[in-house]
Amino acid sequence: MASLRSTSRLFAASRPLFRPATFARSYATVESTPKNVDPIPSENPNMKTFKVYRWNPDKPSEKPNMESYQLDLNKTGPMMLDALIRIKNEIDPTLTFRRSCREGICGSCAMNIDGVNTLACLCRIPTDTAKESRIYPLPHTYVVKDLVPDLTLFYKQYKSIKPYLQRDTPTEDGLENRQSPEDRKKLDGLYECILCACCSTSCPSYWWNSEEYLGPAILLQSYRWLADSRDERTAERKAALDNSMSVYRCHTILNCTRTCPKGLNPGLAIAETKKMLAA
Amino acid sequence: MVSFARPSLLRQTLATRSPLLRQNVGVSQMVAFHASARKQILPPLPQSLEGTMNDPVPVPKPHPSEGSYHWTFERAVCVGLIPVCVAPFAAGSLNPVMDAVLCSLLVAHSHIGFQAAIIDYFRPQRVPKFNSLCNWLLRAFTLTTAVGLYEFETNDVGVTEALRRIWNA
Repeated sequence: MASLRSTSRLFAASRPLFRPATFARSYATVESTPKNVDPIPSENPNMKTFKVYRWNPDKPSEKPNMESYQLDLNKTGPMMLDALIRIKNEIDPTLTFRRSCREGICGSCAMNIDGVNTLACLCRIPTDTAKESRIYPLPHTYVVKDLVPDLTLFYKQYKSIKPYLQRDTPTEDGLENRQSPEDRKKLDGLYECILCACCSTSCPSYWWNSEEYLGPAILLQSYRWLADSRDERTAERKAALDNSMSVYRCHTILNCTRTCPKGLNPGLAIAETKKMLAA
Repeated sequence: MVSFARPSLLRQTLATRSPLLRQNVGVSQMVAFHASARKQILPPLPQSLEGTMNDPVPVPKPHPSEGSYHWTFERAVCVGLIPVCVAPFAAGSLNPVMDAVLCSLLVAHSHIGFQAAIIDYFRPQRVPKFNSLCNWLLRAFTLTTAVGLYEFETNDVGVTEALRRIWNA
Protein backbone atom coordinates (compact mmCIF):
# COMPACT_ATOMS: atom_id res chain seq x y z
CA MET A 1 0.00 0.00 0.00
CA ALA A 2 2.83 2.36 0.88
CA SER A 3 4.52 1.74 -2.44
CA LEU A 4 1.26 2.33 -4.21
CA ARG A 5 0.83 5.60 -2.49
CA SER A 6 4.30 6.79 -3.31
CA THR A 7 3.91 5.98 -6.99
CA SER A 8 0.65 7.82 -7.09
CA ARG A 9 2.37 10.72 -5.38
CA LEU A 10 5.05 10.76 -8.04
CA PHE A 11 2.46 10.49 -10.72
CA ALA A 12 0.47 13.32 -9.30
CA ALA A 13 3.57 15.43 -8.80
CA SER A 14 4.72 15.07 -12.37
CA ARG A 15 1.31 15.96 -13.67
CA PRO A 16 -0.37 18.15 -11.12
CA LEU A 17 -3.57 18.33 -13.14
CA PHE A 18 -4.20 14.63 -12.64
CA ARG A 19 -4.66 14.79 -8.92
CA PRO A 20 -7.00 12.06 -7.75
CA ALA A 21 -9.25 14.75 -6.34
CA THR A 22 -10.18 15.58 -9.93
CA PHE A 23 -11.80 12.18 -10.24
CA ALA A 24 -13.79 12.48 -7.09
CA ARG A 25 -17.03 11.73 -8.86
CA SER A 26 -17.79 8.71 -6.80
CA TYR A 27 -20.93 8.05 -4.94
CA ALA A 28 -20.10 7.05 -1.42
CA THR A 29 -20.18 9.64 1.26
CA VAL A 30 -17.19 10.02 3.50
CA GLU A 31 -17.84 9.75 7.21
CA SER A 32 -15.98 12.14 9.44
CA THR A 33 -15.15 11.53 13.07
CA PRO A 34 -16.95 13.78 15.55
CA LYS A 35 -14.87 16.85 16.12
CA ASN A 36 -17.70 19.35 16.24
CA VAL A 37 -18.77 19.10 19.85
CA ASP A 38 -21.13 21.37 21.72
CA PRO A 39 -18.87 24.20 22.96
CA ILE A 40 -20.62 24.82 26.28
CA PRO A 41 -22.45 21.69 27.45
CA SER A 42 -24.58 21.72 30.59
CA GLU A 43 -23.60 20.08 33.89
CA ASN A 44 -25.12 16.70 33.09
CA PRO A 45 -24.79 16.74 29.34
CA ASN A 46 -27.08 14.54 27.26
CA MET A 47 -24.98 14.41 24.11
CA LYS A 48 -26.45 13.26 20.81
CA THR A 49 -24.63 12.89 17.52
CA PHE A 50 -26.07 14.43 14.38
CA LYS A 51 -24.64 13.45 11.02
CA VAL A 52 -25.34 16.05 8.41
CA TYR A 53 -24.81 15.83 4.66
CA ARG A 54 -22.34 18.45 3.53
CA TRP A 55 -21.40 19.46 0.02
CA ASN A 56 -19.86 22.72 -0.99
CA PRO A 57 -20.36 23.99 -4.56
CA ASP A 58 -17.20 26.08 -4.21
CA LYS A 59 -15.18 22.87 -4.01
CA PRO A 60 -16.89 20.81 -6.71
CA SER A 61 -14.21 18.14 -6.88
CA GLU A 62 -14.61 17.24 -3.24
CA LYS A 63 -16.90 14.41 -2.30
CA PRO A 64 -20.03 15.08 -0.35
CA ASN A 65 -19.43 14.02 3.23
CA MET A 66 -21.37 13.34 6.39
CA GLU A 67 -20.21 15.74 9.05
CA SER A 68 -20.73 14.79 12.67
CA TYR A 69 -21.90 17.26 15.28
CA GLN A 70 -22.46 16.56 18.94
CA LEU A 71 -25.05 18.60 20.77
CA ASP A 72 -26.16 18.63 24.36
CA LEU A 73 -29.90 17.91 24.15
CA ASN A 74 -30.47 19.63 27.51
CA LYS A 75 -29.53 22.91 25.89
CA THR A 76 -31.27 22.25 22.57
CA GLY A 77 -34.92 22.77 21.68
CA PRO A 78 -37.11 19.73 21.00
CA MET A 79 -37.13 19.85 17.20
CA MET A 80 -34.58 18.96 14.56
CA LEU A 81 -34.64 22.52 13.28
CA ASP A 82 -33.61 23.73 16.74
CA ALA A 83 -30.64 21.38 16.57
CA LEU A 84 -29.69 22.59 13.08
CA ILE A 85 -29.98 26.24 14.07
CA ARG A 86 -27.87 25.56 17.13
CA ILE A 87 -25.22 23.84 15.04
CA LYS A 88 -25.15 26.80 12.67
CA ASN A 89 -25.09 29.39 15.44
CA GLU A 90 -22.68 27.77 17.84
CA ILE A 91 -20.57 25.14 16.10
CA ASP A 92 -20.33 25.54 12.34
CA PRO A 93 -21.63 28.68 10.62
CA THR A 94 -20.92 27.20 7.18
CA LEU A 95 -23.79 24.72 7.50
CA THR A 96 -26.45 25.71 4.98
CA PHE A 97 -30.16 24.93 5.11
CA ARG A 98 -33.46 26.65 4.38
CA ARG A 99 -35.76 27.62 7.20
CA SER A 100 -38.30 30.29 7.81
CA CYS A 101 -41.39 29.90 9.96
CA ARG A 102 -40.23 27.17 12.39
CA GLU A 103 -43.83 25.99 12.78
CA GLY A 104 -44.58 23.84 9.73
CA ILE A 105 -46.41 26.40 7.62
CA CYS A 106 -43.80 27.59 5.13
CA GLY A 107 -42.33 24.29 3.94
CA SER A 108 -38.79 25.62 3.68
CA CYS A 109 -37.03 23.17 5.97
CA ALA A 110 -38.06 19.98 4.10
CA MET A 111 -35.25 17.46 4.33
CA ASN A 112 -34.61 13.78 4.81
CA ILE A 113 -34.21 13.07 8.52
CA ASP A 114 -33.41 9.52 9.64
CA GLY A 115 -34.62 8.22 6.29
CA VAL A 116 -37.93 10.05 6.20
CA ASN A 117 -38.73 13.17 4.23
CA THR A 118 -40.15 15.65 6.66
CA LEU A 119 -40.03 19.21 7.86
CA ALA A 120 -37.20 19.71 10.32
CA CYS A 121 -39.39 22.04 12.34
CA LEU A 122 -42.09 19.37 12.81
CA CYS A 123 -39.67 16.52 13.52
CA ARG A 124 -38.81 15.84 17.14
CA ILE A 125 -35.22 14.92 17.95
CA PRO A 126 -35.30 11.24 18.97
CA THR A 127 -34.38 11.20 22.66
CA ASP A 128 -32.38 8.00 22.27
CA THR A 129 -28.88 9.47 22.48
CA ALA A 130 -27.22 6.14 21.76
CA LYS A 131 -28.37 6.40 18.15
CA GLU A 132 -27.15 9.12 15.85
CA SER A 133 -29.51 11.12 13.67
CA ARG A 134 -28.74 11.42 9.99
CA ILE A 135 -29.85 14.42 7.99
CA TYR A 136 -29.79 14.53 4.20
CA PRO A 137 -31.28 16.88 1.60
CA LEU A 138 -34.46 15.74 -0.15
CA PRO A 139 -33.71 12.56 -2.12
CA HIS A 140 -33.10 12.70 -5.88
CA THR A 141 -32.85 16.44 -6.05
CA TYR A 142 -29.96 18.41 -7.44
CA VAL A 143 -28.23 19.83 -4.41
CA VAL A 144 -27.35 23.51 -4.37
CA LYS A 145 -25.40 23.32 -1.14
CA ASP A 146 -25.50 21.09 1.96
CA LEU A 147 -29.20 20.62 2.75
CA VAL A 148 -30.52 23.01 0.10
CA PRO A 149 -32.10 21.23 -2.89
CA ASP A 150 -32.83 22.83 -6.25
CA LEU A 151 -36.63 22.94 -6.57
CA THR A 152 -36.78 24.88 -9.85
CA LEU A 153 -38.36 22.03 -11.79
CA PHE A 154 -40.89 21.50 -9.00
CA TYR A 155 -42.01 25.13 -9.18
CA LYS A 156 -42.05 25.08 -12.99
CA GLN A 157 -44.32 22.06 -12.83
CA TYR A 158 -46.53 23.82 -10.31
CA LYS A 159 -46.86 26.74 -12.67
CA SER A 160 -47.83 24.43 -15.52
CA ILE A 161 -51.05 23.32 -13.79
CA LYS A 162 -52.29 26.94 -13.55
CA PRO A 163 -52.84 27.01 -9.79
CA TYR A 164 -55.41 29.79 -9.74
CA LEU A 165 -59.16 30.20 -10.20
CA GLN A 166 -60.15 30.35 -13.85
CA ARG A 167 -63.64 31.68 -14.61
CA ASP A 168 -65.34 33.05 -17.67
CA THR A 169 -68.74 34.03 -16.24
CA PRO A 170 -69.01 36.97 -13.85
CA THR A 171 -70.20 36.34 -10.31
CA GLU A 172 -73.90 36.61 -9.45
CA ASP A 173 -73.58 39.56 -7.09
CA GLY A 174 -70.47 40.97 -8.64
CA LEU A 175 -68.66 40.59 -5.33
CA GLU A 176 -67.74 37.02 -4.51
CA ASN A 177 -67.57 33.60 -6.09
CA ARG A 178 -69.92 31.82 -3.73
CA GLN A 179 -69.70 28.16 -2.86
CA SER A 180 -71.93 25.87 -0.82
CA PRO A 181 -70.50 24.46 2.43
CA GLU A 182 -70.56 20.99 0.84
CA ASP A 183 -68.50 22.15 -2.11
CA ARG A 184 -66.12 23.91 0.24
CA LYS A 185 -65.73 20.69 2.20
CA LYS A 186 -64.32 18.98 -0.92
CA LEU A 187 -61.27 21.23 -0.67
CA ASP A 188 -60.42 20.18 2.88
CA GLY A 189 -57.26 18.12 2.86
CA LEU A 190 -56.19 19.79 -0.39
CA TYR A 191 -55.79 23.48 0.36
CA GLU A 192 -53.54 22.78 3.37
CA CYS A 193 -50.64 21.67 1.16
CA ILE A 194 -47.63 23.94 1.63
CA LEU A 195 -45.63 22.59 -1.34
CA CYS A 196 -42.67 21.45 0.72
CA ALA A 197 -41.89 18.74 -1.89
CA CYS A 198 -41.54 16.02 0.75
CA CYS A 199 -44.05 13.78 -1.03
CA SER A 200 -42.79 14.34 -4.57
CA THR A 201 -39.20 13.57 -3.62
CA SER A 202 -40.28 10.42 -1.78
CA CYS A 203 -42.02 9.02 -4.86
CA PRO A 204 -39.98 6.49 -6.84
CA SER A 205 -41.94 7.30 -9.99
CA TYR A 206 -40.97 10.93 -9.54
CA TRP A 207 -37.36 9.90 -8.99
CA TRP A 208 -37.25 8.14 -12.34
CA ASN A 209 -39.47 10.42 -14.41
CA SER A 210 -39.50 13.84 -12.78
CA GLU A 211 -39.10 15.55 -16.17
CA GLU A 212 -42.56 14.48 -17.30
CA TYR A 213 -44.42 13.02 -14.33
CA LEU A 214 -45.83 15.84 -12.23
CA GLY A 215 -45.43 14.14 -8.87
CA PRO A 216 -47.83 13.87 -5.93
CA ALA A 217 -47.56 17.44 -4.63
CA ILE A 218 -48.38 19.02 -7.96
CA LEU A 219 -51.13 16.49 -8.67
CA LEU A 220 -52.70 17.19 -5.29
CA GLN A 221 -52.73 20.88 -6.19
CA SER A 222 -54.06 20.04 -9.62
CA TYR A 223 -56.92 18.11 -8.01
CA ARG A 224 -57.55 21.01 -5.66
CA TRP A 225 -58.51 23.08 -8.72
CA LEU A 226 -60.33 20.21 -10.44
CA ALA A 227 -62.46 19.72 -7.32
CA ASP A 228 -63.21 23.41 -6.89
CA SER A 229 -66.85 24.11 -7.78
CA ARG A 230 -66.03 27.72 -8.69
CA ASP A 231 -63.47 26.82 -11.35
CA GLU A 232 -64.85 26.71 -14.89
CA ARG A 233 -61.93 25.28 -16.81
CA THR A 234 -62.21 21.72 -15.53
CA ALA A 235 -62.30 20.26 -19.04
CA GLU A 236 -59.13 22.14 -19.99
CA ARG A 237 -57.39 21.04 -16.82
CA LYS A 238 -58.38 17.43 -17.43
CA ALA A 239 -57.11 17.56 -21.01
CA ALA A 240 -53.75 18.82 -19.78
CA LEU A 241 -53.39 15.72 -17.60
CA ASP A 242 -54.72 13.20 -20.12
CA ASN A 243 -51.47 11.67 -21.37
CA SER A 244 -49.30 8.77 -20.39
CA MET A 245 -46.81 10.71 -18.29
CA SER A 246 -48.42 13.53 -16.29
CA VAL A 247 -50.65 11.46 -14.00
CA TYR A 248 -50.43 7.83 -15.01
CA ARG A 249 -46.87 7.28 -13.85
CA CYS A 250 -48.46 7.08 -10.40
CA HIS A 251 -48.52 3.41 -9.45
CA THR A 252 -50.17 3.94 -6.07
CA ILE A 253 -46.94 3.39 -4.14
CA LEU A 254 -48.31 5.75 -1.46
CA ASN A 255 -44.93 6.93 -0.18
CA CYS A 256 -46.44 10.40 -0.61
CA THR A 257 -49.24 9.81 1.87
CA ARG A 258 -46.91 8.13 4.30
CA THR A 259 -44.35 10.92 4.35
CA CYS A 260 -46.56 14.04 4.20
CA PRO A 261 -45.60 16.14 7.24
CA LYS A 262 -48.98 17.87 7.11
CA GLY A 263 -50.90 14.59 7.20
CA LEU A 264 -52.50 15.05 3.78
CA ASN A 265 -53.28 12.30 1.30
CA PRO A 266 -51.85 13.02 -2.17
CA GLY A 267 -52.42 9.36 -3.11
CA LEU A 268 -56.17 9.78 -2.66
CA ALA A 269 -56.15 13.02 -4.65
CA ILE A 270 -54.38 11.27 -7.55
CA ALA A 271 -56.87 8.39 -7.40
CA GLU A 272 -59.73 10.90 -7.55
CA THR A 273 -58.05 12.62 -10.48
CA LYS A 274 -57.82 9.32 -12.31
CA LYS A 275 -61.50 8.67 -11.64
CA MET A 276 -62.40 12.14 -12.91
CA LEU A 277 -60.35 11.58 -16.05
CA ALA A 278 -61.92 8.17 -16.65
CA ALA A 279 -65.47 9.43 -16.23
CA MET B 1 -29.80 5.11 -5.58
CA VAL B 2 -30.22 7.74 -2.95
CA SER B 3 -29.94 11.47 -2.84
CA PHE B 4 -26.37 11.78 -1.80
CA ALA B 5 -25.45 9.46 -4.65
CA ARG B 6 -26.60 12.00 -7.16
CA PRO B 7 -23.69 13.83 -8.70
CA SER B 8 -24.09 17.51 -8.96
CA LEU B 9 -24.08 19.45 -12.18
CA LEU B 10 -20.61 20.78 -11.61
CA ARG B 11 -18.93 17.54 -10.77
CA GLN B 12 -20.70 15.76 -13.58
CA THR B 13 -19.49 18.19 -16.22
CA LEU B 14 -16.04 18.05 -14.75
CA ALA B 15 -15.97 14.32 -15.02
CA THR B 16 -17.45 14.10 -18.49
CA ARG B 17 -15.14 16.77 -19.79
CA SER B 18 -12.07 14.79 -18.90
CA PRO B 19 -12.43 11.28 -20.29
CA LEU B 20 -8.77 11.28 -21.26
CA LEU B 21 -7.70 12.19 -17.79
CA ARG B 22 -9.71 9.33 -16.37
CA GLN B 23 -7.86 6.78 -18.46
CA ASN B 24 -4.55 7.87 -17.00
CA VAL B 25 -5.45 6.92 -13.45
CA GLY B 26 -4.19 3.54 -12.39
CA VAL B 27 -6.74 0.94 -11.42
CA SER B 28 -5.22 0.49 -7.99
CA GLN B 29 -5.49 4.20 -7.37
CA MET B 30 -9.10 4.14 -8.41
CA VAL B 31 -9.89 1.15 -6.23
CA ALA B 32 -8.16 2.73 -3.27
CA PHE B 33 -10.06 5.94 -3.72
CA HIS B 34 -13.56 4.87 -4.59
CA ALA B 35 -15.70 3.24 -1.98
CA SER B 36 -18.46 2.30 -4.39
CA ALA B 37 -18.64 0.98 -7.93
CA ARG B 38 -17.90 3.51 -10.62
CA LYS B 39 -20.04 1.81 -13.20
CA GLN B 40 -23.63 2.72 -12.69
CA ILE B 41 -26.75 1.73 -14.50
CA LEU B 42 -28.19 4.84 -16.12
CA PRO B 43 -26.47 7.49 -14.00
CA PRO B 44 -28.46 10.71 -13.78
CA LEU B 45 -27.48 13.40 -16.25
CA PRO B 46 -26.65 16.98 -15.35
CA GLN B 47 -29.72 19.02 -14.66
CA SER B 48 -31.31 20.58 -17.71
CA LEU B 49 -34.36 22.80 -17.66
CA GLU B 50 -36.43 23.97 -20.58
CA GLY B 51 -36.89 27.73 -20.75
CA THR B 52 -36.23 30.15 -17.96
CA MET B 53 -36.96 29.77 -14.26
CA ASN B 54 -40.33 31.48 -14.68
CA ASP B 55 -41.62 29.40 -17.60
CA PRO B 56 -43.94 26.54 -16.76
CA VAL B 57 -42.92 23.11 -17.99
CA PRO B 58 -44.53 22.40 -21.37
CA VAL B 59 -47.95 20.77 -21.11
CA PRO B 60 -48.10 17.61 -23.25
CA LYS B 61 -50.81 17.19 -25.88
CA PRO B 62 -53.90 15.28 -24.76
CA HIS B 63 -53.56 11.64 -25.70
CA PRO B 64 -56.51 9.73 -24.17
CA SER B 65 -55.54 6.40 -25.73
CA GLU B 66 -52.33 6.56 -23.68
CA GLY B 67 -54.00 8.32 -20.78
CA SER B 68 -57.52 7.97 -19.49
CA TYR B 69 -58.77 5.33 -21.98
CA HIS B 70 -55.67 3.29 -21.39
CA TRP B 71 -56.14 3.48 -17.62
CA THR B 72 -59.82 2.57 -17.82
CA PHE B 73 -59.02 -0.37 -20.08
CA GLU B 74 -56.27 -1.52 -17.75
CA ARG B 75 -58.57 -1.36 -14.72
CA ALA B 76 -61.32 -3.19 -16.62
CA VAL B 77 -58.90 -5.97 -17.55
CA CYS B 78 -57.72 -6.24 -13.93
CA VAL B 79 -61.24 -6.40 -12.54
CA GLY B 80 -62.35 -8.74 -15.31
CA LEU B 81 -59.56 -11.18 -14.52
CA ILE B 82 -60.84 -11.87 -11.00
CA PRO B 83 -64.11 -13.63 -11.89
CA VAL B 84 -62.58 -15.31 -14.94
CA CYS B 85 -59.81 -16.79 -12.80
CA VAL B 86 -62.22 -18.11 -10.17
CA ALA B 87 -65.27 -19.05 -12.21
CA PRO B 88 -64.07 -22.18 -14.09
CA PHE B 89 -62.86 -23.80 -10.89
CA ALA B 90 -65.87 -22.72 -8.87
CA ALA B 91 -68.30 -23.93 -11.52
CA GLY B 92 -66.38 -27.15 -12.04
CA SER B 93 -67.12 -27.16 -15.73
CA LEU B 94 -64.90 -26.36 -18.68
CA ASN B 95 -65.90 -23.87 -21.28
CA PRO B 96 -63.70 -22.98 -24.23
CA VAL B 97 -65.17 -19.46 -24.38
CA MET B 98 -64.23 -18.84 -20.76
CA ASP B 99 -60.76 -20.16 -21.47
CA ALA B 100 -60.42 -17.85 -24.45
CA VAL B 101 -61.51 -14.85 -22.37
CA LEU B 102 -59.09 -15.78 -19.58
CA CYS B 103 -56.17 -16.16 -22.00
CA SER B 104 -56.80 -12.91 -23.85
CA LEU B 105 -57.21 -10.97 -20.59
CA LEU B 106 -54.01 -12.50 -19.20
CA VAL B 107 -52.06 -11.56 -22.31
CA ALA B 108 -53.42 -8.01 -22.27
CA HIS B 109 -52.77 -7.65 -18.53
CA SER B 110 -49.17 -8.78 -18.72
CA HIS B 111 -48.51 -6.67 -21.82
CA ILE B 112 -49.79 -3.52 -20.10
CA GLY B 113 -47.81 -4.31 -16.97
CA PHE B 114 -44.51 -4.79 -18.74
CA GLN B 115 -45.18 -1.76 -20.91
CA ALA B 116 -45.57 0.37 -17.77
CA ALA B 117 -42.25 -0.94 -16.48
CA ILE B 118 -40.52 -0.04 -19.76
CA ILE B 119 -41.97 3.48 -19.71
CA ASP B 120 -40.90 3.90 -16.08
CA TYR B 121 -37.33 2.67 -16.30
CA PHE B 122 -36.20 3.13 -19.91
CA ARG B 123 -37.44 6.51 -20.98
CA PRO B 124 -37.24 7.24 -24.71
CA GLN B 125 -35.59 10.60 -23.98
CA ARG B 126 -32.83 8.92 -21.99
CA VAL B 127 -32.27 5.65 -23.89
CA PRO B 128 -34.19 5.91 -27.17
CA LYS B 129 -32.71 2.84 -28.82
CA PHE B 130 -32.99 0.59 -25.81
CA ASN B 131 -36.53 1.81 -25.25
CA SER B 132 -37.64 0.79 -28.74
CA LEU B 133 -35.74 -2.49 -28.44
CA CYS B 134 -37.60 -3.26 -25.21
CA ASN B 135 -40.92 -2.34 -26.78
CA TRP B 136 -40.34 -4.60 -29.79
CA LEU B 137 -39.15 -7.41 -27.54
CA LEU B 138 -42.29 -7.03 -25.47
CA ARG B 139 -44.47 -7.11 -28.58
CA ALA B 140 -42.68 -10.23 -29.78
CA PHE B 141 -43.12 -11.93 -26.41
CA THR B 142 -46.77 -10.96 -26.21
CA LEU B 143 -47.40 -12.29 -29.71
CA THR B 144 -45.54 -15.52 -28.95
CA THR B 145 -47.51 -15.96 -25.76
CA ALA B 146 -50.78 -15.31 -27.54
CA VAL B 147 -49.98 -17.80 -30.32
CA GLY B 148 -48.72 -20.34 -27.80
CA LEU B 149 -51.87 -20.05 -25.71
CA TYR B 150 -54.00 -20.36 -28.85
CA GLU B 151 -52.17 -23.53 -29.84
CA PHE B 152 -52.47 -24.87 -26.31
CA GLU B 153 -56.18 -24.18 -26.29
CA THR B 154 -56.93 -25.64 -29.70
CA ASN B 155 -54.55 -28.61 -29.86
CA ASP B 156 -54.22 -29.50 -26.19
CA VAL B 157 -56.29 -29.43 -23.01
CA GLY B 158 -56.29 -25.69 -22.36
CA VAL B 159 -55.14 -23.53 -19.49
CA THR B 160 -57.88 -24.29 -16.99
CA GLU B 161 -57.70 -28.04 -17.47
CA ALA B 162 -53.92 -27.96 -17.30
CA LEU B 163 -54.04 -26.05 -14.03
CA ARG B 164 -56.57 -28.48 -12.63
CA ARG B 165 -54.40 -31.47 -13.54
CA ILE B 166 -51.32 -29.88 -12.03
CA TRP B 167 -53.30 -29.09 -8.90
CA ASN B 168 -54.61 -32.65 -8.62
CA ALA B 169 -51.33 -34.30 -9.57
